[in-house]
Amino acid sequence: MCFSKMKKLLSLAVLFSASSAICSAEEVTIYGVKSLSGSFASYGKYADMGSRLAVENYGDLLGQPVKYSVIDTEGNAGKAVRKVQEAIRQQGALFFDGATLSSTALAIGKEVDKAGGVFMTPAGADELTGSECNNATFRWSVPTYGAIHETVEPLIKAHPDWKRWYTITPQYVFGEALLNNAKAVFKAEGIEHAGNSYHSLQEQEFSGYLTNAMAAKPDVLLLLNFGGQSSNALRQAVNFGLKHQMKILVAWSSGLDQLQELGPQVAEGVYFGAQYWHTVDTPMNKELVSNVQAAYNMNPNYPMAADYIGTRIILDAIAKAGTTDGKLVAQAMENSRYQGPTGEETVRAADHQVLKNYYLLKGKAASDMQDKDDYVDIISSGQSFPDESSLDCHRG
Amino acid sequence: MSLYLFQALNGIGLGMIYFLISVGLTIIFGLLNFVNFAHGAYYLLGSYLAFTIVSLSGNFWLALLLAPIVVAALAWVTEKTLIQRAYHLPHTFHILITLGIALIIQELSISIWGPIGKTVAAPPSLAGVIQLGDFFYPKYRLFVIAFTAVIALALWFLLERTRFGALVRAGSEDAQTVSLLGTHIHKLFALTFALGVGLAGLAGVLAAPIRGVHPFIGPEVLGLAFVVVVIGGMGSFVGALVGGITVGLVQSMMTTLWPQGASLMIYGAMAIVILMKPYGLFGRA
Repeated sequence: MCFSKMKKLLSLAVLFSASSAICSAEEVTIYGVKSLSGSFASYGKYADMGSRLAVENYGDLLGQPVKYSVIDTEGNAGKAVRKVQEAIRQQGALFFDGATLSSTALAIGKEVDKAGGVFMTPAGADELTGSECNNATFRWSVPTYGAIHETVEPLIKAHPDWKRWYTITPQYVFGEALLNNAKAVFKAEGIEHAGNSYHSLQEQEFSGYLTNAMAAKPDVLLLLNFGGQSSNALRQAVNFGLKHQMKILVAWSSGLDQLQELGPQVAEGVYFGAQYWHTVDTPMNKELVSNVQAAYNMNPNYPMAADYIGTRIILDAIAKAGTTDGKLVAQAMENSRYQGPTGEETVRAADHQVLKNYYLLKGKAASDMQDKDDYVDIISSGQSFPDESSLDCHRG
Repeated sequence: MSLYLFQALNGIGLGMIYFLISVGLTIIFGLLNFVNFAHGAYYLLGSYLAFTIVSLSGNFWLALLLAPIVVAALAWVTEKTLIQRAYHLPHTFHILITLGIALIIQELSISIWGPIGKTVAAPPSLAGVIQLGDFFYPKYRLFVIAFTAVIALALWFLLERTRFGALVRAGSEDAQTVSLLGTHIHKLFALTFALGVGLAGLAGVLAAPIRGVHPFIGPEVLGLAFVVVVIGGMGSFVGALVGGITVGLVQSMMTTLWPQGASLMIYGAMAIVILMKPYGLFGRA
């Protein structure tokens, strides 16, 4: 009788200790902040697919499967912040990846920083890792400095006779940053800046600006806008026959999805700067392409690759830190070196900027395409980042 | 040719495109007193149908013929089943109903054609440019200007010189009397609505090779169409033409004079017109 009682007590103790062990395993949830509706939904859809795949492929973390929850930012910084605040307050969210728009990313970064979490973004604004940097925010995409240096400089070096450049620039922070970097390169390389046309953030009709460019008779037209605006500007430039009068460089393209939209008739002979291209020959990119093809029957594009690797960097850091404490995870991410889609990538501790390659691509003729996504040749690639001494990032 | 002269020519070309984008909206408002916030969505549908027809057949002209007819037919069905019930309601109901239609069209377009934008090639016979001094102008844009001018004339003739036009104008003044005189007023209104929306579809087809197609183009087009209609006067056919050309000229000239303010000045022009003539250049109180 006594022995049986002891046996029961022992069983209860074992059960209790086992359940305690289960409870102590920390559940990890990655919150994807993606523009699933609104004007940037075309980007958000693929970004969401990237993060989702990274989580699905990761397996267990800290003894439990990783969870993924998506927050639709609706391409609106105000709505995004409210939803992120709710997730932090109600669900204890700490780990965020995504945000297409710079304004959204800057706002989310501040909220996540207040909560002591981690936020990885591919957004474009240099302030993310510059004057507005904080302990929580990390950025995967190359800043405007690198985008200009890795596109404009190789072209100038390869074609010294392209002496006069004309720029078309959206008048907001991102466009100004690209333009200032371009002017600095022009000055350093002895290039004549033949003129610049600013346009508003809402502009979709570029015939007037292209006429200004025609009048300046440059050797190269440098488009410093992004997304739908650069597609429309390029499409209209081709309509106006500018491709036959000058070379065209789109410094910050969105890569495959933009080329799919434009098609080879528009893209042929045009130069594009890109954060990612799916044929890059690196071990991790091969793995990514294989995973994406298996899951979605397509090649990964930039938003998908950026948010896949962004999510994975956070997961790896949680594994390395062995905890879900946001501050310790952020510390684990700093100075981490890993094999990314563009080759070896490093998270610079000073400003939380990922140091990675940027690509210069050139559009192929339809007859030269080997498969449906073979739109470009990779002309060059490399890493250009401002020195640590010149950074605007001063974190507390 | 000087830069400013070329910008003026380009502005007139742009204005003709803007006229085509807005004329359907003004016809529907002027004749049916109905505010159609789905106008941009029907434009979107026209563009996507053009993309599909050109992709399948390789024939732009077929798209130019078929896509507006399909859009107009869809509008006719919508009018018969939904819009007709709302004519007598205040404008706020028109806005709610047509915004709903616009959202449905937009989301269906994403489901069918995906979120990535599309490019529609101009017909090969209109590819290339013509040289005007130091400048080049696309042949396709010249075609759009000429085609729009023909459409404008045909519309004027239809609305001002035919029995159909007379009946529609009379119906917009006093539907009950026209109905008592033996005209099937509902059929007349359905046809007018289909015509206005078909013109949005036509604008979508013609603008596709210039501006491409993407799922969120509808609100952008709607905003532009309203600016043109407000400048020209709500419901005025001539106003849409003058408003369109005014907006085109302002936009094009400002890209040289003050590039960063080119878009802003479109709204500036609208504000000036409203201040001077609150009902627009050709509008009625």
